[in-house]
Amino acid sequence: MKYPLKLHVNQRTYNLEVYPSQNLRDVLREELGLTGTKEGCSTGNCGACTVIMNGMSVKSCLILALQADGKEILTVEGLSTNGQLHPLQESFIDKQAVQCGYCTPGMLMSAKALLDQNPNPTEEEVRDGLHGNICRCTGYVKIVEAVLDAAEKIGQ
Amino acid sequence: MSELNVVGKSVKRYDALEKVTGKAPFVYDMFLPDMLWAKVLRSPYPHAKIIKIDTTEAEKLPGVVGILTAADLPKTNHGAGLIDEPTMAIDRVRFVGEPVVAVAAESEDIAQEALTLIDVEYEELPGVFDPEIAMQTNPPSIIHPDLRSYSFSPVVPPAFDDDKPNVYNHYKIRHGNLEAGFQQADVVIENRFTTAMMQHCQMEPHVAVARAEVNGDITVWTSAQTIYGIKQMLCDALQMSSSKVRVIVPYVGGGYGGKVEIKTEAIAVGLAMKTRRPVRFAFTREEVFTSASVRHPSVIYVKDGVKKDGTLVAREVKVILNGGAYSAYGYLTVRNASFGAVGTYKVPNFKLDSYGVYTNLPIGGAFRGFGSNQVCWAIECQMDRIADHLNIDPVELRRKNLLSEGEINVSGETTHSYGTKECLEKVVEEIGYNQPKGESKGPWKRGRGIGLANKYSIAPTSSCAIIKLHDDGYVELRTSADEMGQGSRTVLAQIAAEEFNVEFDKVKVVAGDTLITPYDQGSISSRTTYNTGNAVRLACEDAKRQLFKQAAKKLEAPPEKLETANGRVFVKGSPDRSIAFGDLFIPTMFASGKVLKQGAELLGKATWYQFASAEDKETGQGTRVVAFYIHGATGAEVEVNEETGEVRVIKAVSAFDMGKAINPELCEQQIEGGIGMGIGAALYEEMAFDNGAVLNPNFMDYKIPTSREIPGPSNVKSFIVEANHPDGPFGAKGIGEGVTISVGPAIQAAINDAVGIRLGDMPMTRERVFQALSRKKA
Repeated sequence: MKYPLKLHVNQRTYNLEVYPSQNLRDVLREELGLTGTKEGCSTGNCGACTVIMNGMSVKSCLILALQADGKEILTVEGLSTNGQLHPLQESFIDKQAVQCGYCTPGMLMSAKALLDQNPNPTEEEVRDGLHGNICRCTGYVKIVEAVLDAAEKIGQ
Repeated sequence: MSELNVVGKSVKRYDALEKVTGKAPFVYDMFLPDMLWAKVLRSPYPHAKIIKIDTTEAEKLPGVVGILTAADLPKTNHGAGLIDEPTMAIDRVRFVGEPVVAVAAESEDIAQEALTLIDVEYEELPGVFDPEIAMQTNPPSIIHPDLRSYSFSPVVPPAFDDDKPNVYNHYKIRHGNLEAGFQQADVVIENRFTTAMMQHCQMEPHVAVARAEVNGDITVWTSAQTIYGIKQMLCDALQMSSSKVRVIVPYVGGGYGGKVEIKTEAIAVGLAMKTRRPVRFAFTREEVFTSASVRHPSVIYVKDGVKKDGTLVAREVKVILNGGAYSAYGYLTVRNASFGAVGTYKVPNFKLDSYGVYTNLPIGGAFRGFGSNQVCWAIECQMDRIADHLNIDPVELRRKNLLSEGEINVSGETTHSYGTKECLEKVVEEIGYNQPKGESKGPWKRGRGIGLANKYSIAPTSSCAIIKLHDDGYVELRTSADEMGQGSRTVLAQIAAEEFNVEFDKVKVVAGDTLITPYDQGSISSRTTYNTGNAVRLACEDAKRQLFKQAAKKLEAPPEKLETANGRVFVKGSPDRSIAFGDLFIPTMFASGKVLKQGAELLGKATWYQFASAEDKETGQGTRVVAFYIHGATGAEVEVNEETGEVRVIKAVSAFDMGKAINPELCEQQIEGGIGMGIGAALYEEMAFDNGAVLNPNFMDYKIPTSREIPGPSNVKSFIVEANHPDGPFGAKGIGEGVTISVGPAIQAAINDAVGIRLGDMPMTRERVFQALSRKKA
C-alpha cells in the first residue's frame, strides 16, 4: 500500500504517494527525475547519493522516503541558483576536480554541508569532512583543493 | 615545432559543467517509458553441472514478463580473443555468480522476488581455486574440457600447453643465453611474490538498457569503455549482423579496465528481444564484485643473476595469473603482463614464461595496468632484495641497470622515448630520499622508498576520427573514444582546436554512438591520446585539404598557400586575404540553412593504424611489439606502527613520462588518481573467498581508500616529464595506467626503510605487516 508523502526538494513542493519500502534516493531519481543524485552501493558507504536534508548531509539510500516527509531537501540540481553556479561548482571546474563525474554530485553536497558548518576548514578538516564519499578516479587531491578554493571565495 | 595555442594548455574539462550540475548523462540514470527491470539468478556453486532449470512458478508471478536462459540464446560463446564464455551458463557453471536465469519484470522488486521462485538443480564438481594447483598436469578439475575447440583471435593467437589442461595461454620471451648469463653471475637471488584479486569499484556499477526496434534492430545504451568491442561481442553472443546492432555510450562512471566485456548488455538485449519492451539491467554493488571482471591475482617467481657491482646478467621470470572461470581480456593480459619485465631494465640474458590459468573464481580481465602491476611489483621488490644482498643503495642499483635510449630491450625492440632516468632523479629529489628521516613518534616509525614503473600500450591497434566543419566556423569531432573520466573528449578537442587554430570552445565533440561515430578500439591500454589523437590529426588534415580546395578559387591562391584560424581560411602571410568557412556555403531558398555547392559537407576522415611486427612465438622477439612505453617513478613516505602493523602514507610524489602533456592538469589528474588507486592496491584491497564465494562484496568489508587514507594536496606532488615520442600526436604517448604500478613497490620500500621488513605479498595489510614484524622480533 502506498502512503502520501510531501517532499520539499530544491524549493519546490511535491505531493507523492510512495511505498514504505522506497528510499529517498529512488524517489528522487525515479519519481522526480532528479538523477543528479547517484546510486553507487545502497549500503551508505559510497556517498554518491548524498543530499542535504534540513541542513544535514545524508546518504539518501539510507533514508526511507517517508522519513523525509515535510523535510527540506537540497540536491545537486538545486545547488546553482538563477543560472549562477555555486562557488563549489565553479571551483570543481576551475581546480579540475572532476573526472568520471559519478561521485561529483554527492561530493558537492557533502562539501556544501561541510562549508555550511565550517566556513574556513583546514586541509585536514576537508579530508575528514569528505571521507564518507568515495571517489575512485581522483585520489581526492583536486577535490580537496577545490573545496578549499570555494571556501576562500565564499569568505570574500 | 611551431608555437602551440591549445595543446599543452590546461584548458578546463569539456565535460565539467555537465558533471557539476548533475546533468551529465549516465546509463545508470536511464529509465525509458514502458521499461522492464531485469534481475539475474546466479550460480551458488563454484563448479557444477546444471541438471535442470524450472521456472514455472516464477512465470506465474504477476508482473513477470519474460524469463531468459541459455536455451533462448544461440549456443555461441564470446570473448576478447579466446572465445570461451557463454552469455548465460550452458549445462555447466564455473564460478559463484555466473548468470543462469534472467527475469524481466514490471518492477525491480518483482524481478527480485521471481528469482526466489526459480528452481535450479545442480550436480557439484570439484572446484579449483589455487592457480598453481590448477596448472598441474592432473588438476582436480579440467574447467574447460573443450578448450582446444574454441575459436580465437587470429591477430594474437593464444598458445596452449599439452601438459597443463587448465592453461589458456602461455607466453614466452627468450633473449640472450640464460644459462651462460647465470654462469657469469656472482650471486643468484630467487624470490616468490604474490598479488591479490582486486575489484575496479567503478562508482557507476555496470548497466545496460536495451531496446528491440520493430524492424529487428537493437539499440543498447551501456556504461562501457570499448564501444566497438561491446558491439562485436554482442554480435558474437547473439549471432547478429553488425548493422543490426547500435551501441550508445554516454558518460561512463569509471572504467579502469572493468567495462570492456558484455556483463549486462547481452542479457538486457536477450530479454528485450523476448519481451519486445525496453529492458534495464543494472548490477548491484554486490554483483560488481561477484560477476564483473577483476584484477588477476598472481604468483610470480623471479630468479636473477647479478655481478657483485649490481649489474644484472640474467633474469628468469615465471608469471602465473589466476584467470578465473573464463579468459575474457585475460588471454591478452597473459602476454602483455610480460612487458612489465621488458620496459625498464637492461638484461642481457632473459627468459620469461607467463601463464593464464583457469580456476573457479571470478573472471580475471583488464584492470588499469593490465598485468604490469603484478609483474612490476615482483621486479621492483626483487631489485630491492638484490640491493639488500649486495649492500648497494636501491636507487643506485636501479641507475646501474636502466635501459638507455637506442638500446635493444629483451623483446628485441629499440628503446626510445625513455624518460625513466629523469623521472627517477626527480622523485629522488622531491621525496627527499637522501634527507634525514622524520622523527618517530612513539610506535610510529618513518621511512621513504621509491618504485619504478613502465606500461606499454598495445599494438597493432587502430582508431578513426571524423571532422565536420560548420558554416559558423565550429569544428565538429566525431569519435568513439569513450569518456570514462580520463578526459578523452577534452584532449581530443584540444588536438582538433590546435589543428584548426581555433579556441578550444569552438570544437564540438560528438561521441559514443556506433550509428554515427567511427571505429575505435576503445579506451584501454592508455591508448586514446596517442591513437585516437593521431586519427584526429589526420582527419583534420583531410578536412583542411578539402577546405583549402574550396577556398582556393575564392581567394585566388593555390591550396598549399592557405592556412586556417578562427573559422576562416587565410592566404599565408596575407592577413587581409581571408574567407570565413560560412562564406563557402551558399544560402538556400527560404530560411532553410546553407549548403556547399559541391561535396555536400566539409568532412575529413582518417584511420590511424598502429603497426606491430608479429613477434616470434617461441622467443617473443619483434621489432615493434608495443605502440610505446610510459615510464615513471613514485616516491612514498610512510609511517609504520611497530606495535599494530598499521601503515599510513604521509607523502607521495610521482614523476611520469607521457611523451607530451596535451593538457598538463589532466595528466596531473591521472597521476594523483593513480597514486590513490595504487595506495588501495598496496595497503588494503583484496577480495576474500570461501569455496569460491566472495566474502567481502561490499564497501564495508572491501576497503577502498577515502580522503583520509590518501595524503592531501600539500603532500601529493605530480611531475610531468616529456620524452617526446616520434609517432605520437605532438609527441604524446599516454599516462592513464602507469602511476598505479609504481605505488606498491614504493610503499614496500618505504616500509622497509621504516621498520626493516621486506614484504612480497600485496596488499601489505596491517595483518601482513604485523606478522612480518613479529617474525623479525622472533
